[in-house]
Amino acid sequence: MAAYFARRFLLLIPTFIGITFLVFSITQFVPGGPIDQMILNMQASATEGGVGGSGSSVEIPPESLAALKEHFNLDKPFFVAYGHWLWDLVQLDLGKSYKYNTPVIEVITSRFPISIYFGLLGFFLAYLICIPLGVLKAVRHGSRLDIASSMIVFAGYSIPGWALGGVLLVLLGGGSFLDWVPLGGFRSEGWENFSIWQKITDQLHHTILPVMAYMVGSFATLTILMKNSLMENLGQDYVRTAFAKGLSERAVIFGHALRNSLIPICTGLGHAIGLIMAGSYLIEKVFNIQGIGYLGYTSIVDRDYAVVMGILVINTLLVLIGNILSDVLYVLVDPRIRFS
Amino acid sequence: MSQPLLQVKDLHTYFNVEGQRAWACAGVSFDVLPGEFLGIVGESGSGKSVTALSIMRLIPDPPGRIDSGEVVFDGRDLLQLPLNEMRRVRGRDIAMIFQEPMTSLNPVLNIGRQVMEAVVLHENLSQEESRNRVIEVLEQVGIPDADKRLKDYPHQFSGGMRQRVMIAMALICKPRLLIADEPTTALDVTIQAQILELMADLQNQREDSATILITHDLAVVAESCDRVIVMYGGRIQEVASTRDLYQQPLHPYTKGLMGSIPQEDSKGKPLFAIRGNVPAILDFPPGCRFCSRCEQVEDRCRSEEPPLVDLGGGRAVRCHLVEKLPSNAEAEEAAP
Repeated sequence: MAAYFARRFLLLIPTFIGITFLVFSITQFVPGGPIDQMILNMQASATEGGVGGSGSSVEIPPESLAALKEHFNLDKPFFVAYGHWLWDLVQLDLGKSYKYNTPVIEVITSRFPISIYFGLLGFFLAYLICIPLGVLKAVRHGSRLDIASSMIVFAGYSIPGWALGGVLLVLLGGGSFLDWVPLGGFRSEGWENFSIWQKITDQLHHTILPVMAYMVGSFATLTILMKNSLMENLGQDYVRTAFAKGLSERAVIFGHALRNSLIPICTGLGHAIGLIMAGSYLIEKVFNIQGIGYLGYTSIVDRDYAVVMGILVINTLLVLIGNILSDVLYVLVDPRIRFS
Repeated sequence: MSQPLLQVKDLHTYFNVEGQRAWACAGVSFDVLPGEFLGIVGESGSGKSVTALSIMRLIPDPPGRIDSGEVVFDGRDLLQLPLNEMRRVRGRDIAMIFQEPMTSLNPVLNIGRQVMEAVVLHENLSQEESRNRVIEVLEQVGIPDADKRLKDYPHQFSGGMRQRVMIAMALICKPRLLIADEPTTALDVTIQAQILELMADLQNQREDSATILITHDLAVVAESCDRVIVMYGGRIQEVASTRDLYQQPLHPYTKGLMGSIPQEDSKGKPLFAIRGNVPAILDFPPGCRFCSRCEQVEDRCRSEEPPLVDLGGGRAVRCHLVEKLPSNAEAEEAAP
């Protein structure tokens, strides 16, 4: 089995190169590269500042342009440029953001905690609520509680997280209806100077709605998966055997059926890692949270390819490692599975 | 004659099928004596498994329900017991073995834990004592190196070994009644013989206890049982000692079953088969349940269900033709 996982890890390398090469090539061919973007920005600021004539009159000397292109490896064929990028990456250098002019790694790490905070919180809350709810629904299948919760769960499933976020903000954000939560942001201004208690309540106030928006999608899938999986197991022969031993319903469900029915859910944990870290652009946009999703979007719009590639590297690695982690979890929870 | 260990009286169990009540077990009565190895034989859908599950009160509800009757064990009607007392009967006084040894064991728990579960539940033993008991019973059912295999999972055992684990699991609390529901059906013929031999051995070791063996295979009955109940359509059709049943089956259904066993002298000839199929549970004819497939059917069979006639000497049969059946006259005279 060690050989199996060693092979899986080695396979990471070609997969990773494949993904990054593809995206890198796309960035090289789409119109409007970073230099065009810079020129545009310069023209815009020149116009605003009102310094001499119209924006189009701003000229960049051809030799400076060439130097810039060389600096960004834009003068070379794209596969050579990719080689340069990959070589830098191997030395753990993600390059500099064109836009912020700071190392990409700093730009990303400054945003990471925010995305992880919301991602992890939503993730754990979803599991904490969905698994017990799924178990309850399976045990009380067909009851009023089961039917009512199914309706809520499916209604939630059909609402995109960002749309729910928008609706909740209108209702609770202090505009037209109730004033319970702030309109957005990660924390209030001056948070650092608050007392501990104020810090916590302020953070919670800013957290509730985004987390609900994050959770709403996975909520339905997870609850129904848990319910169906447990129901299926409750119909198995070994459950009847357990009853025949004289075990109580509780002991049969928790000691026998639940463990089997958690197998498909455990293995989903690995895949979830990538999702936790990736954040969600739309939800971050609605709540004005400066997370990774938001950063990724603005970087693409601004043609800040170094940052785009940096985020891609991190997400790709997380998803690939998450897949392997799923396999590890399979082995841990199901004794029948032995990879060879 | 000694007091019966278990008395089933007029047991009725139905399942809700397409909004109708399908009587899978319709008025079944029989006794199980201490020390007895009783066989219940019938095709699929004859009600034999439902009878067994009703005794254990393991009928899945819904869609099934035990409607009426009594199951007297130890002077108590099991059907009237509160659930928590019934749980103390299950696994301790009455244990059950199921057909599919692979699916009847929990795939993610090691067998040591699964076998130990019943002892821990029903008896006040220390961890160490329980473990020793598990090893002892696993060795008793013929699992080599039992102490080393406690941590193994069901998939690491062969079919026959898994069924031995199931038997160990059932026997660990020394139950007075063991119900084996088709314990050998899923196994190879050679393994079948080993398992039956083991069950017979174990039965002989436990003098006051009894075994009910449920099977569709008359050959299995011949090898192990003292007495046989033949069921069809949720009703008992014939009761006899194994020897009587083989020497002289009385009910046309039993004869049909006998005729479908390959014999030495039937080589080269087509094997006899009872015509038709077992009807779907809601489609049994009125009158005798077997009339749609019976070779000797008469008009009244189609309208009037025959009673189960006690012929004395432990024999009973449910057939209108009973008085016409050959060499029955003496048996009937002997009956009170």
